[in-house]
Amino acid sequence: MLPILSLTLATLFVGTVVTFLAGPRAKYVAAAVSAVFLVEIAAMFWMFTWPAFGVGPAHFAESESYAWIHVDWLHVNYTVGIDGISLVLILLTGILQAVTVAYSWNETKQPGAWFGLVLLTCLGCFGVFVALDVLLFFVFWEVVLVPMFFLIGYWGGPRRRYAALKFFIYTHVASVTMLVALLVTAFYSHSPTLDFASLQGSAATLAVPTQVILFLSLFFGFGVKFPIVPFHTWLPDAHVEAPTGGSVLLAGLLLKLGGYGLIRWGLEILPTGLSHAAPVLYAVAFASIIWGAGVSLAQRDLKRLVAYSSINHMGIVLLAIALDTSLGLLAAVLLMFAHGIVSALLFMVSGSVHHTFGSRDLATVNGITPTAPTLSTMTMAGALASLGLPALISFPAEFTALLATWDKLGYWVVIPLFTLVVTAAFYIWMMQRLLFGTPKGIPADAHDLPYAEALAMGALVVLTVVYGILPNLLVHWITLSPVAGLP
Amino acid sequence: MTAIPWTVFLPELFLLAAALLIFLLDSVGVRWLELFGGLATGGIVLALFAVLADLRFAPLAAFATAPASVVDAPWSQLGGSLVAVTSFGLVFQAIFLTSALLVALSSLSRPTKEKGAAIFFGLLLFATLGMTLAALSADLIFLLLSIEITGISTYLLVGYTRRDPRGLEAAMKFYIIGALSAALSFFGASLLYVAYGTTSLYALGTTMIYLGHPPLAGATSIALLGYGFLVVGIGFKVTAVPFQAWAVDVYDGAPSDVSAFLAGGSKKVGLFGYFLVFLVPILFANRLAVAPPACAPAICVTLHPSFAVPLQVIFGVMAVVTMTVGNVLALQQSEMKRMLAYSSISQAGYMLIGLAVATSPALAGALLQIFAHVFMKAGAFLVVGAVAGLGIGSKIEDWKGVGLRYPFLGVSFAAMLLSLAGVPLTVGFVSKFVLFSAAVQAQGWFVWLAVAGLLNSALSVFYYARVLRVMYMERPDPVTAPIRSGAVLGGSEPPMLALGGIGYGRAVAIGIAVVAIFAFGVYPQIVLSTFQNAANHLLQAL
Repeated sequence: MLPILSLTLATLFVGTVVTFLAGPRAKYVAAAVSAVFLVEIAAMFWMFTWPAFGVGPAHFAESESYAWIHVDWLHVNYTVGIDGISLVLILLTGILQAVTVAYSWNETKQPGAWFGLVLLTCLGCFGVFVALDVLLFFVFWEVVLVPMFFLIGYWGGPRRRYAALKFFIYTHVASVTMLVALLVTAFYSHSPTLDFASLQGSAATLAVPTQVILFLSLFFGFGVKFPIVPFHTWLPDAHVEAPTGGSVLLAGLLLKLGGYGLIRWGLEILPTGLSHAAPVLYAVAFASIIWGAGVSLAQRDLKRLVAYSSINHMGIVLLAIALDTSLGLLAAVLLMFAHGIVSALLFMVSGSVHHTFGSRDLATVNGITPTAPTLSTMTMAGALASLGLPALISFPAEFTALLATWDKLGYWVVIPLFTLVVTAAFYIWMMQRLLFGTPKGIPADAHDLPYAEALAMGALVVLTVVYGILPNLLVHWITLSPVAGLP
Repeated sequence: MTAIPWTVFLPELFLLAAALLIFLLDSVGVRWLELFGGLATGGIVLALFAVLADLRFAPLAAFATAPASVVDAPWSQLGGSLVAVTSFGLVFQAIFLTSALLVALSSLSRPTKEKGAAIFFGLLLFATLGMTLAALSADLIFLLLSIEITGISTYLLVGYTRRDPRGLEAAMKFYIIGALSAALSFFGASLLYVAYGTTSLYALGTTMIYLGHPPLAGATSIALLGYGFLVVGIGFKVTAVPFQAWAVDVYDGAPSDVSAFLAGGSKKVGLFGYFLVFLVPILFANRLAVAPPACAPAICVTLHPSFAVPLQVIFGVMAVVTMTVGNVLALQQSEMKRMLAYSSISQAGYMLIGLAVATSPALAGALLQIFAHVFMKAGAFLVVGAVAGLGIGSKIEDWKGVGLRYPFLGVSFAAMLLSLAGVPLTVGFVSKFVLFSAAVQAQGWFVWLAVAGLLNSALSVFYYARVLRVMYMERPDPVTAPIRSGAVLGGSEPPMLALGGIGYGRAVAIGIAVVAIFAFGVYPQIVLSTFQNAANHLLQAL
């Protein structure tokens, strides 16, 4: 059996190092690494289809395990493996890495470091999605932090230093809480190793109140990444100051780490904890949904608007996870994938609007369609996808989420349903002003999109349509994992 | 009782020989810095090999000079021996020698016209000698005397340049505090002798528990007083709060190489003292609490319920207070060396968790933390020395753009700071992970020590990240920033390995530290299993 996961990690690692050292030629190396990564992801899908090549211990395909740190009381392994959920999120990682590299093709400020840090972020995310050991998982989880800190802090906007520091500290405190909770779970339940499988087996022996407390600690740890209200304030700051590529990875990938972590290390390890703590999660999810939608209505800055709508969308993801039904989990993963694609597109749009027209302020820049038709098309595709137009990617995901909510919670479904209307309202309002208003604030030298940016956004639009019409391309894989399997 | 052959002192003899040779050459008028540095480095490397051989490291095991029957022999069979060879002590020796090696290598790059090279290297060797001797001790007086050898050598090291008034002030402060702490420790030791009639560490710890009725009337309170003085006296060396105030002024005023040695090496000798003096009573009390001794109740009026737990609580509280105070004060510093000094205090707090928890996993974790601290903190002081040598000021603000102009120093310093902050793939992360896991594994109130430690390491990220930000994200002021060879300002990316004129010895020392930070951060198995064995054997031997 080909150790495809380790091989991919190795490729990404070597690729990152070479990119750092490549200086002005870094973009070619980064593009090559992205291409290889996509090929490897295709191989993963292929091997996943043919059980003869895969299915390892437990329910994880492609599982690999080697001893890492072994002393008498502490057994840490290098264990990696994927199931349907991680596979879909890995696909998202590969796509976003490729389009981020394409979008920032013309980066001139320290290109070696820029592309290196982009690859390092994706390496960390990939690691999080494949790691099946507490320490390994935590290592990759933290590896993501460092490059993002530099991406925001060096290439970002005027208040970048404040934003970078805030991002780093919020997420670091959260990950510390998460680590303690996982360690307590392991040591109090006398788990023989720190592997996912052995934690999952032994955690049920803990007393129920302990499980609830541990689950809530994990929820805080993963929730800050989501982000959940009231720990969401780092997100708008980070997005507004981050460079476009940084925003794409932040919204498209980093937020997904929270959702993935909550499913894999929260729900799957401490299901009893979740069932008792579910009301807390519902309350937080509803708060995030309402808050995100309400605050985005008041935004004039395009990027801030997209950032707050992310809080709204991730609130729905949290709600879907908290339902703890297989349909809910399917919806959560679909939503994460959809949000990854669509928010990446919208952040690219706001970045391009900013450097084409010198401002992202919806009150100053209006009516860009005559000047920049391609950019307008992309904007419209992104906005329509985000408000949940059928045949675009968010629709099947949101529909499944609403269906799952109805199944479990009945009329509470009105809350997310209503915010979908609000979301639609603010995106339509945004399109009216930005795309179709009377031209205003257009500099004389404004031009349409450069090829690299158009290519990146175009690829995302195509994916939005393809997966919107054929969601089964994703559903098939997600339902192969036991927790999200259809009844 | 097994006799201890003289060969166990081989590392010490190497150090002594090198030191004497240096002083001899100096007295006949040789003034050759590289020669002295080379001799010192050679002596340290030989000593390190001898120690690693005694630890039975595979390729060197054939050269072991300490017979296997002596290493980790049970302390109950030591009799009145002043010394005992334990793997635990050998690990400490290896750590001491590693930090001395880094400092010696780096000092090869000192300005050649500077006077006193022989004094510097000679004193460095003597300080290291004291530390390695301390790691062999089985007797309280032997331990305190060894610590004093180190102490006296380091007072002189701090002020050896004699020109820098701040160095002199620091040396004076260091001397006064050091003398006070030594006086307190020896007073404590004499009180214990009055109470028990022995200074053997093993006898002290076990007598206290077993007899309950010490030989003299009122001896219990005298003994408690004695232990109290030792907590304070050795606490000064450890820089545990509230005995930490001197450390910042001294680390700040001393030459950076010496600060590196103080933080990376000589402070650990105090920690070793803490472990040695207090582990025996804690362990015995805990063991007896589980299985009370079979003896008549009249004799067994033991102290254990009232003694061991308070000791662990004392060290637990001390650990939390030390790490918190160190971190909070580090947050407010604008001087690089003072920030590092406070961070060093907070790291001592993490190490004390090992003593408070007092299980073999926790001891192994503490050892790993001490080991990691050599590379990250001593390394950081060496980088500070290198940067100061390039004419850049001592304030954090003066470091604007250093990371971009001096890639080697920048990357090294970033690695050390990330390791101090406990970011994964660095040795500082692994050591904290193991240490805090061990506290969680011990369960009970020790879990809170892990929580306090983790919250503190999150807090510490603030000031380390601030330095990274200044180094990489801020442009230097054109007026104040001098440009030396190898530095490119505002142009294309400078080559990664441009050393910028800091000297090869220093570059090698910093390079070793960086490689160690990542190598042991990615694959800690070799050191951790050694440390775990050492901790297990120590607990068995006691």
